Amino acid sequence: MFGKKKKATASEALHLEKPDYTHIVSVSGLVHEFVDTDEEGKEVDRFRAVDNVSLDVEPGDFIAILGHNGSGKSTLAKHINAILMPTEGTVYVAGMDTKDDKNLWSIRQQAGMVFQNPDNQIIATIVEEDVGFGPENLGVPTDEIWERVEKSLNAVGMIEYRHHSPTKLSGGQKQRVAIAGIMAMKPKCIVLDEPTAMLDPNGRKEVLATLRELNRQEKVTIILITHYMDEVICADKVFVMDNGKIALKGTPREVFSNVDKIKGLGLDVPQVTEIAHKLKKKGAEFEDGVLTIDEFVEQLEKQLKQQPLQQEKLRLSESDSIINKPNEQTDVENVNTADNAENIIMTLDHINYTYSADTAFRIHALKDINLKLYEGQFIGIIGHTGSGKSTLIQHLNGLIKAESGRLLFRDKNIYDEDFVMPELRKKVGLVFQYPEYQLFEATVLEDVMFGPKNLGKSDEEAKQTAIEALKAVGADESLWDKSPFELSGGQKRRVAIAGVLAMETEVLILDEPTAALDPKGRDEILSLINNLHRERKITIILVSHSMEDVAKYADRIIVMNKGQVAYDGTPDEVFTYYKELEEIGLAAPQVTYLVAELRKRNIALSNHVTTVDRAVRELSGVLEVSADA
Amino acid sequence: MLRDITIGQYYPANSPIHSLDPRVKLLGTMVFLISLFVNDTVYGYIIATVFLAVCIKVSKVPFKYMVKGLKAILFLLVFSAIFTVFFTDGKVLFELGFIKITDNGLIRGAKVIVRLIYLIMGSSLMTLTTTPTDIADGLEKAFRPLSYIKVPVHDVAMMMSIAFRFIPILTEETDKIMKAQMARGADFETGNFLKRAKGMIPLIVPLVVSAVKRAMDLATAMEARCYRGGDGRTKMKPLKYKGRDYTAYIILAVYLGTMILVEILL
Repeated sequence: MFGKKKKATASEALHLEKPDYTHIVSVSGLVHEFVDTDEEGKEVDRFRAVDNVSLDVEPGDFIAILGHNGSGKSTLAKHINAILMPTEGTVYVAGMDTKDDKNLWSIRQQAGMVFQNPDNQIIATIVEEDVGFGPENLGVPTDEIWERVEKSLNAVGMIEYRHHSPTKLSGGQKQRVAIAGIMAMKPKCIVLDEPTAMLDPNGRKEVLATLRELNRQEKVTIILITHYMDEVICADKVFVMDNGKIALKGTPREVFSNVDKIKGLGLDVPQVTEIAHKLKKKGAEFEDGVLTIDEFVEQLEKQLKQQPLQQEKLRLSESDSIINKPNEQTDVENVNTADNAENIIMTLDHINYTYSADTAFRIHALKDINLKLYEGQFIGIIGHTGSGKSTLIQHLNGLIKAESGRLLFRDKNIYDEDFVMPELRKKVGLVFQYPEYQLFEATVLEDVMFGPKNLGKSDEEAKQTAIEALKAVGADESLWDKSPFELSGGQKRRVAIAGVLAMETEVLILDEPTAALDPKGRDEILSLINNLHRERKITIILVSHSMEDVAKYADRIIVMNKGQVAYDGTPDEVFTYYKELEEIGLAAPQVTYLVAELRKRNIALSNHVTTVDRAVRELSGVLEVSADA
Repeated sequence: MLRDITIGQYYPANSPIHSLDPRVKLLGTMVFLISLFVNDTVYGYIIATVFLAVCIKVSKVPFKYMVKGLKAILFLLVFSAIFTVFFTDGKVLFELGFIKITDNGLIRGAKVIVRLIYLIMGSSLMTLTTTPTDIADGLEKAFRPLSYIKVPVHDVAMMMSIAFRFIPILTEETDKIMKAQMARGADFETGNFLKRAKGMIPLIVPLVVSAVKRAMDLATAMEARCYRGGDGRTKMKPLKYKGRDYTAYIILAVYLGTMILVEILL
């Protein structure tokens, strides 16, 4: 019935067989159109998601496909797994035409697919049974299923979890189980559609390491679809998609040589690449496409050697004056707030909290938390999954009640009996992760009105507040009467934030507001939050595991670890502990590592550098190129 | 707050009952339920109590887990007991207005309560000692003959195991959406029935939307892994009867036989 059946027994020989094709995936002139029809089946709208794409993938390659949301990269991926059929053009997988119905199941076996949401692709309630699901469908004999399951779980390093329930695993572990589930089908190629978008940095690292390992050890072809630039550096070839077309292709270095073009496509480049690019523009000598810290350091040192006097001067002048130069606005703001007791908006005093207190699964979620939060601050809270950061923020608006300790909101203990909880919920707004999941009304405007109406406002008043909130998040008037479910991911998130803002919030807490957004969507949401902070003087508490985001906007960073506050200070203060942060599963922004490396080589930089712009400014000074160019 | 539901919760342990074939346990539960209704004598209740107690002991599931399941049906218990007590004819023991309590009423009320409790405990024992996947597998195999008359046995079993897989995910999601709406001032707890029912809309709509999205994602993921229904599928863990399963069947037969005999003879 299936071509692969006779090969199945000769598992080891599988990759040694001489294939009757040269490209594992060969796409030529692919066009995919989504057609919207009305009730009578008449065409109302036509959208070209993939537009004349051609690409070939050699067996054993590690390919990355980049692009912002809506660039057509996921549609392309679904063609490789024969989930979608070409409108025009052809897709060949392992020499089989995806348009040919009889190839369908062999194609899906040869080119396995891993999806974005780890929860929505695991079928069974026990890890090993889920991995066995694919082989079961292929009709593999029972004994061989067990062999394959064991081998696949070993390959992704999840064998010790074989009897666990998937619900108890972390995001990264779930994705590794999903990859094992595909490996058990003995594919030649794995297509991964944004497998890391919903994971924290640790999970992303795990998944990428697993993919690299499979590519190297098992010689599986990997096609990784992502919008994270740092994930594609190790790829053999990179394709950048935009508007359904391939906008750029080549090796990572070739692609990253086009920094401006990539930024124009709504994507990021690694921080070192950006710094090198910006310095080059100012006249420094860097090659195009600097990818790693080592490359950067090497090229910088070469230039410094060419200006010996300069180098001498700088090395000697590595003086305290530079190191102690205050970090401009951030420190100024801290001076304004830190010593002023009147500005304290919330005080956490010996807060303790335990999950499942009366069972064997008790987890000490918060241990003796003492914090003072000041009005007008932009606070970043970082910590890995399970560090207690989500529990902490739910305390701040009274959704979780501490077991012991006091929580003061403007000098009033919120645990006092006469405290009016709705008043706190009004003043302290909480935007949960993936807030678009809370949208429910028929129109955007009505949805945003939900909060104010709960506060007892009349329809007219609620409408006014809602309109104001929608304007504040930059939601265009044309969206107000639309159903929230028709909006794009980024728009939904804006509306959801407006829904909380409409409560007339003074403190806005956001839990991972940029999760699963592409770089452009992420920047938009972050600058929106920054505007709210600057223009409306709202106190912001931003929970994130992206250090780059936090470093760019926050003036104070609180690091949570194991239910305790590990570090609390300005970004540059906190990131000086980058080694310690790494130990607790966090990483400082790449620029911090670069600066540390340069300082080790006696290149005079202050340790306040936590953003790309600051690094460019200081390095311009070192290289004596114009800082204002 | 939603995590207290115990139905369908598996208690992992290594006991003879855990290792029985799910078909044996499914049939065993049926036999036990039937036995409660065929035998209405005092001896019958004693035998059933002993049988249940031994099974619970052997299963190594702590007794409090059995009781937990009862909380959910406390209302039903009280309700049916009151009804039986009030509306059974017999020698009147106590009368107040239209309320009459009779001796037969009390006896039947007690029996109803005992039967309901045993019913729940019997089924809890099955769900606590059998993984959801095993239950689905057991049902699929036990009802396999029905597929000849076009009953979609495999599909129903697959749906069941997927449902079990998504219960914890959707429970967590409910909790999250509830909190998110509470942060926007929603109130799920106060007010009369109508107000509370209306208050559920902000919870139910997002939950349904998300469940539908998850279902679509899952369907795509299953197809991508070559799922195409039950035909031509093999099993990683096929069900096979072992020695202890036959022993269990014999014990069940003896138990049911005794119950019937006791009812007829006494």
